[in-house]
Amino acid sequence: MKYETVIGLEVHVELATKSKIFCSCSAHSYGAEPNAHVCPACCGMPGMLPVVNKRVVDYGMKAGMMLNCHINRTTTFDKKSYYYPDLPAAYQTTQWFAPVAVNGLVEIETSKGKKSIRIKQIHMEEDAGKLVHDIREDTTHVDFNRTSVPLIEIVSQPDLSSAEEVEAYLDRLKNLLRYAKVAECEMAHGTMRCDVNLSVRPEGSDKLGVRTEMKNMNSIEAIKRAIEYETARHIDAIEHNTEVLVQETRRWDDIKGKSFAMRSKETAGDYRYFPDPNVMPVVIDDEWFNSIKASLPEFPEVKRARYINEIGLSEYDADQLIKSIAICECFESAYAECGSAKDSANWLLSECMNILNSRQMSYDMLDVDGKALGKLIKLVSEGKVGRANGKKILADMFDNRDIDPETYAKENGYIVSNDTSLIEKVAKEAIASNPRAVNDFKSGKEKAIMALFGACMKQLKGNCDPNTLKEILIAEINKI
Amino acid sequence: MKKYTVKTQTQSTAKFVADDMILTKDIPTCAGSKMLDGYVSLFEAEVLTRLADKGYGLAGKTDVGEFSIDLLGETSYNGAIIEDGVLKNATASVIKDGEVDFAITLDVNGSVRRAAAQDGLVSIKPTYGTVSRFGTIPVVCSGETVSVMAKTADLCKEALSAIAGHDDKDGTSLPQSEIDKTKTEKEIRKVAVLSSMLKGVDGKVSEKLNNVCEILRKNGIEVTEIDDSVIALSSAYWAVLMSAECCNNVSKYDGVKYGYRAQNFMGIDELYTNSRTEAFGFLLKSTILLGSETLSTANYVKIYDKALRMRRVIVEEFAKIFASYDVVLMPACSAFAYGEEDMKNTYKAYEENFYTAPASITGLPAVVVGGVQFVGNAFSENSMLSLAAIIEKEGK
Amino acid sequence: MDREILRRLELLNQLRLTEEEKQTFLEFFNSKKSNLEALDNAVNTQNVERMVHVMPVMTVVREDVVKQPFSRDDLQRSAPETDEGYWCVPRVVE
Repeated sequence: MKYETVIGLEVHVELATKSKIFCSCSAHSYGAEPNAHVCPACCGMPGMLPVVNKRVVDYGMKAGMMLNCHINRTTTFDKKSYYYPDLPAAYQTTQWFAPVAVNGLVEIETSKGKKSIRIKQIHMEEDAGKLVHDIREDTTHVDFNRTSVPLIEIVSQPDLSSAEEVEAYLDRLKNLLRYAKVAECEMAHGTMRCDVNLSVRPEGSDKLGVRTEMKNMNSIEAIKRAIEYETARHIDAIEHNTEVLVQETRRWDDIKGKSFAMRSKETAGDYRYFPDPNVMPVVIDDEWFNSIKASLPEFPEVKRARYINEIGLSEYDADQLIKSIAICECFESAYAECGSAKDSANWLLSECMNILNSRQMSYDMLDVDGKALGKLIKLVSEGKVGRANGKKILADMFDNRDIDPETYAKENGYIVSNDTSLIEKVAKEAIASNPRAVNDFKSGKEKAIMALFGACMKQLKGNCDPNTLKEILIAEINKI
Repeated sequence: MKKYTVKTQTQSTAKFVADDMILTKDIPTCAGSKMLDGYVSLFEAEVLTRLADKGYGLAGKTDVGEFSIDLLGETSYNGAIIEDGVLKNATASVIKDGEVDFAITLDVNGSVRRAAAQDGLVSIKPTYGTVSRFGTIPVVCSGETVSVMAKTADLCKEALSAIAGHDDKDGTSLPQSEIDKTKTEKEIRKVAVLSSMLKGVDGKVSEKLNNVCEILRKNGIEVTEIDDSVIALSSAYWAVLMSAECCNNVSKYDGVKYGYRAQNFMGIDELYTNSRTEAFGFLLKSTILLGSETLSTANYVKIYDKALRMRRVIVEEFAKIFASYDVVLMPACSAFAYGEEDMKNTYKAYEENFYTAPASITGLPAVVVGGVQFVGNAFSENSMLSLAAIIEKEGK
Repeated sequence: MDREILRRLELLNQLRLTEEEKQTFLEFFNSKKSNLEALDNAVNTQNVERMVHVMPVMTVVREDVVKQPFSRDDLQRSAPETDEGYWCVPRVVE
């Protein structure tokens, strides 16, 4: 019998705000000293009252709009109670009854084509703290820096059916949320985490199988392996009665490549949600709604079409550029500055990518001033700076955003010389010290001139128009 | 048995006490619970900052029952205050003794109003949202209000005007333009007495009510007894909301971050359970369990959601009454003294909040004077306090 | 409510009652619950909107500004157990 996998995802995304959702502590917990970003409110002391960070609602709304959701114009907060050391108040403030966004749709593309994934809801909530288990054997150490950092949880319908689709979906979410600049979405930093709900059923059946959940997955590769493992385990259980499937939460051990049932408390899941009396409903009026709507970025597909149809880029270049909003923004200002879309795309997709790769940085970490890049492109295309020197300047621009390429080129001797007498002098010296190359060239080996060319370029520190140099070299050889 | 912790002598001429639900930076705030024995807050309640700014001196803190949900303070881990076989409230005793001018308290479940009524004092529970709750120990956030208790209505008015006002740090604090509505006083001409709210009171309380009605009539105020079946339902639904919110708010006390931690435990669950079991009293434990169960999946819609809807029904019922009457007169307690029999009943506070729940569940202002309680429309606190001053004068 | 539900409630709320307390609580709870059940039809609330906040609905938000006035040492001053800037609990097995 053939089976299909049914997967729904709950994706937690940390919002890129400065302060926490209900108190004014810094929201940047990654890499901070333990409990450095904590106040009486977020370590569970009595007396402080929650006041909602407006930017959290802005970003929640924006995320909802990016995923084609309906925005609830009155959105409310609720309390969810349970005991765990990472939850200092013993309740989490979340959205249970009226989440900020509902009923969305996200389009993904895989090797099998396009598919729409329905979004059930997006709700805003506070993150929990972090537990550290490896300082002392008998003790768990508790860090509340992450407590109350704002999150959105994006809950999909069970519309995904393979690891490939899950990867495409997560990439798509990441791309859209980064376009909107509401979140970093870096799984390695924990700013994007994923709960995978999975079941298996005979193909074509409309009845869902027994569902298991794997919580807090934090790498795409691990998620893919876990999905494949769980799918096989479910099918095995159904086909060969290897075990009885039960609805449960499982822990994925990526090193062992296996999932394990977690010991669950008898009272697990008994969360006693109720509306938070301390947080008034947030009413999103037309003015607020429209201001967020107006701040939405151009969607990737729209950008792609514009790059191809209006700017004249190739489909390949457009596809590469739209992968990252940082690349797009740099491209657009470089293009505005230098006037050549093709050159701008080339510099970004080859030179910038090379530097990013050599530094093991992702596309989104590109931090080069696009206008300065445009100036540099112009200097090179006008022949004022040699291409090799242009690349050197670019590498330095990665380290220092304030570099003005022209001033920098002048200061560092990267300006192409128009002094033909100097070029002639250098050419003569090269010819004199390379008789063999000269003979080879004369006997018809045209490539032999490259040795002379290279020697001259080196001597001239690259500050020479290649065509001029070539012409002078040939002229000088012919004089012999 | 201690009534209050004395703070170092203040220079101020106008002195007050705060009850132990109000957080102070240099005196412990224990909320009457072993759980918070010796707990010192890192910040001060907004009301105290406002009073200090206006030159009032905090003379000390008065003891409360555990998280102030009991009758009069008898569940404090410091023990009940009993004089001649009668239960006494720490804050009311300090006021009565004339040691300070007024007291700032948190009216969680009516103990403040019962105490004022029994000791012949005046208290004002203002309209919800007019006084900041920032820096008060949260128990029933949707209904509890910082209140004032004093010997006279004028002192209540003075203290209230010093603490009322918008506070950005409290998300339920009303805008200043709303709070300013309390400044417009309206003469009270028509008082409604709800017959359904007279249930269960003893002879002395009845007599007080009659006396007050006489004084009102003597002063040209119309007193009408009306029939109403809705307001009397308040306490049943208040108990639901109160216990659920209390359960949630005291769940943070677990022996991990601060406060009491049990000596012996194996593992995290025993740490939690032993700490809470050893530190909490039986009324609080019962309230936690009751509240938790009303929020369970099985009961949420039937009980909790129903209570939230009933809150609106009760608010609307009051609005109907206030269309024809200026204030409602009702008892604040069933008797003017709680004796040994009452103390044996763990759940007596759940019975007595029959009289205090209507103002608690609706957030309406309530004034206790001359042993009785007036509940008024939102922002009518000053009008009611002016009426209270008349009753005070005539009652002497 | 029966003993089994009460046992779960104790677990859920990290509390233990004595035998005597259990009896007293069960009586209290059951009378409260039957009282509420009896009242259930007193007022039909089907078309009544629930009221969480007693005052008029208003949006209260703050600007996204960082303030960090409390020190870790102060926050941990009354902690039962800390180590290297962390609060400590018995090992939680994951």
